[in-house]
Amino acid sequence: MTHALFDDSTRRKLEQLMLHASRVRAGAIKGERRSVKRGTSVEFADYRNYAPGDDLRRLDWNIYARLERPLTKLYEDEEDLAVHLLLDASASMNFPDGGEGGSAEHHKFAFAQRLLAGLAYVSLTTDDRLMVTAFTVPNERDSDGALHFGPARGRGYGAALLKFIGGLEARGAVDLNAALKHYALRTVRRGLVVVISDLFAPSGFADGLNALVGKGHEVALLHVLAPEEVEPPLLGDLRLIDSETGSAQEVSVDDGLRDLYRRRVEQWRDSLRMECRRRGAHYIPVTTDQAWEGVILFDLRKLGVIK
Amino acid sequence: MAFLTPLALLVGLLSIPIILLYMLRLRRREIVVSSNLLWRQLLQDREANTPWQRLRRNLLLLLQLLILALLTLALARPYITVPAVSAGRIAVILDASASMNATDVPDGTRLDDAKRRAIDIIDTMGADDRMTIIRAAAQPQVMAGYTGDRAALRAAVESVLPSSESADWNAALTLAAAGALGESAADAVSMIIISDGGLGRAADLPPIPGALRYIPVGQAGDNLAIAALATRAQPNQPPQLFAQIVNYSDQDADTIFSLRIDGALATAERYTIPARGSLPIVSAALPAGFTVIEAALTRPSNSPFVDHLPTDDRAYALAPQTDARRALVMTDGNLFLEQVLRIIPGIQPFRGDPALGLPGTGYDLYIFDGWQPPVLPTDGDLLIINPTVSTPLFEVGGLIDMSGTIRVQRGDPRMTFVDFSAVNLLRYKAVRAPWAEALIEADGGALLLAGEVAGQQIALLSFDLRDSDLPLQIAFPVLMASLIEWYAPPSLIQAAETAFRPGAALALRLPPNADALRVTLPDGTRRELTPGSALVFAETGQLGLYRLEALRAGAVVESALFAVNLFDPNESAIAPRLELTLGGTVIPQAGAVEEIGQRELWSALALLGLIVLLIEWAVYHRRSRLRLAPVR
Repeated sequence: MTHALFDDSTRRKLEQLMLHASRVRAGAIKGERRSVKRGTSVEFADYRNYAPGDDLRRLDWNIYARLERPLTKLYEDEEDLAVHLLLDASASMNFPDGGEGGSAEHHKFAFAQRLLAGLAYVSLTTDDRLMVTAFTVPNERDSDGALHFGPARGRGYGAALLKFIGGLEARGAVDLNAALKHYALRTVRRGLVVVISDLFAPSGFADGLNALVGKGHEVALLHVLAPEEVEPPLLGDLRLIDSETGSAQEVSVDDGLRDLYRRRVEQWRDSLRMECRRRGAHYIPVTTDQAWEGVILFDLRKLGVIK
Repeated sequence: MAFLTPLALLVGLLSIPIILLYMLRLRRREIVVSSNLLWRQLLQDREANTPWQRLRRNLLLLLQLLILALLTLALARPYITVPAVSAGRIAVILDASASMNATDVPDGTRLDDAKRRAIDIIDTMGADDRMTIIRAAAQPQVMAGYTGDRAALRAAVESVLPSSESADWNAALTLAAAGALGESAADAVSMIIISDGGLGRAADLPPIPGALRYIPVGQAGDNLAIAALATRAQPNQPPQLFAQIVNYSDQDADTIFSLRIDGALATAERYTIPARGSLPIVSAALPAGFTVIEAALTRPSNSPFVDHLPTDDRAYALAPQTDARRALVMTDGNLFLEQVLRIIPGIQPFRGDPALGLPGTGYDLYIFDGWQPPVLPTDGDLLIINPTVSTPLFEVGGLIDMSGTIRVQRGDPRMTFVDFSAVNLLRYKAVRAPWAEALIEADGGALLLAGEVAGQQIALLSFDLRDSDLPLQIAFPVLMASLIEWYAPPSLIQAAETAFRPGAALALRLPPNADALRVTLPDGTRRELTPGSALVFAETGQLGLYRLEALRAGAVVESALFAVNLFDPNESAIAPRLELTLGGTVIPQAGAVEEIGQRELWSALALLGLIVLLIEWAVYHRRSRLRLAPVR
């Protein structure tokens, strides 16, 4: 399963990475991240005046001998990070399927699966608390319409994780707003939330994003679009069927309308970026004709989500 | 604007099925996309912002409805009323005479201008108007009978060809009037004469049931013409040429008069012809033995004079016809023979004395009466009466007393009218000539032998005229005339002159040894005339030289030339006339507004419809190309 999603060299690269949330400061257990809190690691951080009750083992006796003032040594603390990876597994992600809409090599869900697996793998290798959730139609397995993996920590979960991700499929209509809100309510620990979606949701996703940010999460939005959605190869008198809702839209596409559509997509991405920036979330527009590991290695790194 | 066939507007109802078909027609291709969210927003925005976009999507429908509207309008034949020259029953007489070849109007000849005016009249015809087109030339011609079909009338006008003839206006007007009478006597006919006014001799105006109108064409009268060109033979002198150049304009004109003799330029001289004057030219320096003289007028390069009618700037003359054939009569004195030779045309007898021998050679015909030179001459034809001695050509035997009957070869054309039934003969000589045919025979031998030896035509009369009463009979001049005609057949053209006017009809003669006649026209086309048809050639409309050939089994046995020249002061005087005097009637120029005509607009509408159709096709083609574009 590992090989299906990424090869060894990519894996080695991923192993050197670490997910980072600059605004989330609430590690629950010892982790690999330096915490802003002073703690019990071996790395010296600072001194402070001794207060009664401090551990005498932390008292710097050499200083006390020289200055006759009791000073306690403070050490860096290390903590873990709660990583929430959320995948939109609605039918609109199942595109392009090799039909008239576009070539299957730009399949959004496959791209999203790889991205998800990559991020999850990074998270596991850094002993983070990983939660992977795929939003899909409410079904027999999960009443709230989401498939969950985790919480998991450590490389030992790798195989199971990849099996989970590989077994996901995109189908049905998902109310992204509701799903995100529901997830925000459910989570206990604040952490880094990465949402992978095409954001083709009629009800929008702003409320869900607000709920996540309000909960104290640091949110990164990976907006996955196929190149065929940015530059549609459609021409003529068409009846466009929505893969999620099944609703039809009649449209006579000519060059002028295609230009308008391109501009519309640009506007949409810009408005998404503005909305995310206002809420302090990261927005990363991705098209599926780029290399998925490039998104992790460069785009997310640039935003500081990955170090 | 009104409509001639308003019912055709009902065709506009076809728009309903078009719209219905359009609504049913559009089958969109279904394509599943991840989400049509963006498309929906896009179209909502677009339709909200630009309402005409909805119309633009139906551009094809609009174009089709526009085409239908235009075609419906065209079918309804809208028209506007315009001033017209005439209305009702109209006879348009187009002058196609020689003067209409003048090029003093812009854009072509006067005839072209006249045609344009005729088409203008056709275009302003009302719906109930009927029109006929008559071409006035030497023979008037009805190009189109009374009809309201504008296309047919237009085609008839276009098919009018110019001629080099004078128009026969009497005949043309009679024809127009006759056509009108044939239609309906109740309707008055307007006759419109489109001409430059050079009507020539239309002395008696036929009774015309209706009004005459005259549309003049032509602007200038500047023309130089060769008005005459002729050659004359003079005894013992080279032939003489006479030419006359006439200036029909009101200004002096310079011209170069050139003569070509048998195709080679002989002289070219510059003359100045005074206004309204003429210049006679007499040239004596013609070489002997020429066939054709071509005279031409050329404008000198520095002359401001413009000759508007080129047709009369060229003329042809043939060499004068040779004199009568010279015949040498060697006789001791034969009053009957000399008398009859004197009265037969085309022969000039000279008498020689047998005692002095043959006076010389160079005669066309030698007639030996009871005398023979030692050696028979070979440069002319021979008629030997009562041969005396045998020669290499014939054998002369002894005298035979006449008995029995005289038989004439009736089948021979030379003997057609010769009647020997009343002729009494005493005796004759037994003459034998194997090359000759016995035309008249008695029981014992031939009385008249005739044949051809090495191009020499020889006839032998085997008795002394004084031994018979033939000279007293009517058969004698008939026989002599037949023989003389056999020796020297007359010209192929049964006329004294060799130059004719255009349109003249020529009576032609088919020689006995030919089976067909062929005429080569100046433009090189050929006409074949067979004895079955009347041997009259009237296709002399072209100016120039005609070659006439008599054919036997396709080979030329005899040929002659004749020329057709304009030489018509009525046609050469091309100054347009503003009034037409026909007989005693003065016909004024037709005014601009006389009647109300209708100018139809359907052709413009149909053309517009066609253009829109092309646009519709281009739009449709562009759309289908888009639809078929490969998915990238």
